[in-house]
Amino acid sequence: MISRVAEHCFWMSRYLERAENTARVLEVNQTLLLDFEVPLEQQWKPLLIISGIHDMPGEPDAETVQNYLTWETANPSSIASSLQSARENARIIREVISADMWERLNYYYLWMHSPAASNLYQRNRSEFYNQIKRINQLIHGISEGTMAHGEAWEFFMLGRYLERACQTARILDVKYHILLPTPEHIGTPVDNAHWVAILTSCSGYEPYHKQRPGADPGVAVADFLIFDPIFPRSVRHCLRTCQAAAHAISGRPLSQPGNEAGRTLQELVGWLQLVHIEDFIRAGLHEALTSVINRIHAIGDAIRRTYFDVGPHLPPAACPPPASESQDLEKAATGQYQTQSAS
Amino acid sequence: MVRHSGQPETVTTAGERQIGLDGRLFANYQPHATAWDELFLAPGRPHDHCRPLVDPLGQLLVEEFQQRRASADLAFVNQGITFSVYADRRGVEKIFPFDLIPRPVAGTEWKVLELGLLQRIQALNLFLHDLYHEQRILKEGVIPEGLVVRSKAYRPEMIGFNPPGRQYLHVVGTDLVRDTNGRFLVLEDNGRTPSGVSYVLENRMVMKKVFPQLFQHCRVRRVEDYPHRLREALCSVAPAAAGDPPCLVLLSPGPYNSAYFEHSFLARHLGIELVLGQDLFVDDDKVFLKTTHGPQRVDVIYRRIDDDFLDPKVFRSDSLLGVPDLIRAYRAGNVTLANAVGTGVADDKAIYPFVEDMIRFYLSEEAILKNVPTYICARPDDRAYVLDHLDQLVVKAVNESGGYGMLMGPFASAQERAEFSEKIQANPRNYIGQPIVTLSACPTWTEEGLAPRHVDLRPYIVSGKSVWVLPGGLTRTALVKGSLVVNSSQGGGSKDTWVMENGR
Repeated sequence: MISRVAEHCFWMSRYLERAENTARVLEVNQTLLLDFEVPLEQQWKPLLIISGIHDMPGEPDAETVQNYLTWETANPSSIASSLQSARENARIIREVISADMWERLNYYYLWMHSPAASNLYQRNRSEFYNQIKRINQLIHGISEGTMAHGEAWEFFMLGRYLERACQTARILDVKYHILLPTPEHIGTPVDNAHWVAILTSCSGYEPYHKQRPGADPGVAVADFLIFDPIFPRSVRHCLRTCQAAAHAISGRPLSQPGNEAGRTLQELVGWLQLVHIEDFIRAGLHEALTSVINRIHAIGDAIRRTYFDVGPHLPPAACPPPASESQDLEKAATGQYQTQSAS
Repeated sequence: MVRHSGQPETVTTAGERQIGLDGRLFANYQPHATAWDELFLAPGRPHDHCRPLVDPLGQLLVEEFQQRRASADLAFVNQGITFSVYADRRGVEKIFPFDLIPRPVAGTEWKVLELGLLQRIQALNLFLHDLYHEQRILKEGVIPEGLVVRSKAYRPEMIGFNPPGRQYLHVVGTDLVRDTNGRFLVLEDNGRTPSGVSYVLENRMVMKKVFPQLFQHCRVRRVEDYPHRLREALCSVAPAAAGDPPCLVLLSPGPYNSAYFEHSFLARHLGIELVLGQDLFVDDDKVFLKTTHGPQRVDVIYRRIDDDFLDPKVFRSDSLLGVPDLIRAYRAGNVTLANAVGTGVADDKAIYPFVEDMIRFYLSEEAILKNVPTYICARPDDRAYVLDHLDQLVVKAVNESGGYGMLMGPFASAQERAEFSEKIQANPRNYIGQPIVTLSACPTWTEEGLAPRHVDLRPYIVSGKSVWVLPGGLTRTALVKGSLVVNSSQGGGSKDTWVMENGR
């Protein structure tokens, strides 16, 4: 498919997924604050930090932060901006997505700009965020049932799961930023409640208890959200799904990553196979998560270089580029990729 | 007309309560004093071919009609059937206002229109071939040479070049109007990149949803074959060495173009890729598409970009929309462009007055469809007449479209007329004058209930190895009382056009 179109597919689903996850983060924070007393400056600021926002105008109080992350069009990752960008990407590739997908996405874009949305936001914040979550879920469901599962679909999957992997890591990182009153509180009801809230925000409460019956929340929750092989929001599962999509696109078996996108994915998935949650804790959960997030960004860059920024003078599709490939293999053999990914 | 309410469920018809919701739809309808009415011969008396439409529709209460209107509006809003207006970020997209009362054309009358259009396209196509080869028509003095070669749309680059199948005009939208006697006249030919056909198809889709039972009453000829016919035509003019099936793409200027919705609509319905200039490149005089799996050869480009922007190396060098070396590849015969390059000269408004002569010259026939009488300001006598009668004529710039660069004499101020007078004298080649045709009118929903509003008709003609006319076309309607300007860029709306198979 056309590289530019592939890029729009990828970003459309990333933005939708981002809107959903921003709603999840806002909701979990809201819930946490209902139960516990948290110093004012620690209540909402962490959400800005994990979103990489350092320049929000005004004080980071509840309403300002929620407003900024939900409605502010000057904030490119606000829910409103994400939906706008998703819809704009979709508009450009309307000939690629199904009519049903477009119609629903357009409907919710209009809804977001209607008084109905702002009323719901004022009246029932939690229901508002639920509704935002449902937008992505609905459009994902519609696309699953109405679009050919060809290359465009695989780019949707790639975008959706790459974004989700990143967002799950971010949500988990909230825990780092919400400090316990004292170290003695580790393992106490306050601490456990934090973990449960994070689990819930990822829709992981019940799956967690089925997978790990009787396990105390705590580090086990982090383990679950990072390493669980079948939970659809765990970092590992998301990255494996990306890998499957990338290989469906390249047409290569999983054992042959072939291009840069495939290789960077394989490295991170392989690394997650080798490490354990204890390694993360030892390195510092925040530090380990930051490294994972950076590596996910690097995968995004690799996908862009492999599929979107295609120069005009590639050899025809029938013969894959052997020269550059062998160079890359050389690099891999000399460990260049290892150092890159470890940074 | 269309309320762009944020939440579609809340689309209301408030503000129209004073009309009386319990009356029958046509009860108070008064046809226009002078214009031909498309539905009624006289108040309460429909044309014969309109009875199958007017009878059931007339049973509707205004309130029921309003409900259907709300559901049609909702369908348009949700589907994002819009055109872009170059304004601020929030309000970029507008809905093309749609009126629910169809505009019928009798089946027998349509047959004549169809023949007239086929004849016209054939002559225009022969004219283009002649113009870029022997130029017989100029040498024999039928059309003044100066008028042609000074046309901004004339492309000397095309001289001696044979497009596949000698076909220049793959898609034409011819604007027709009906005068006060009910006679169809050609207002202009659009042979560059005519737009609007997606609205024909969408309007029909919505009408079928909103008034399914009406279609059972009035056997209406189908418009839904258009994408299939266009695809067939494009395949039939692929270069000889093209793949089987040939690779077709639609080249669009991009999402910020006002017709992007249509480009995407057509790509979707033709099952072809929508591409921007940046997606294509030329290597060894062949055109390739940049894909995730490397370059893919392109055979036919249905381009919705004007000549000027196609190839920065040949035409406007500042164009970012085009593809460098595209014209080289075209001239090498490795890719087909539809429409061909240089067709704009055939719809130049200063050449338009000669189309009837072309028909005589190339086909030895009389034109079935007549032109509106036209004064060519390049001719001294005509110019003098136009300058003397500015208060009675419509004056048009020859190379403009979309209702831009136009003076409606009787409605203009003395100052506006004086300005145009200066413009005409400064550059006479650039202007033509025509008597004002009182366009026919059709019942249209307005703030005051059903009222006559002026309409035109743009049928679409698709040509490849064979030629096909879409039965119907886009009926554009002025929404402002008394206005004769129907262009969407000037606030016009549209209607579904029904060619009635059972009508006489």
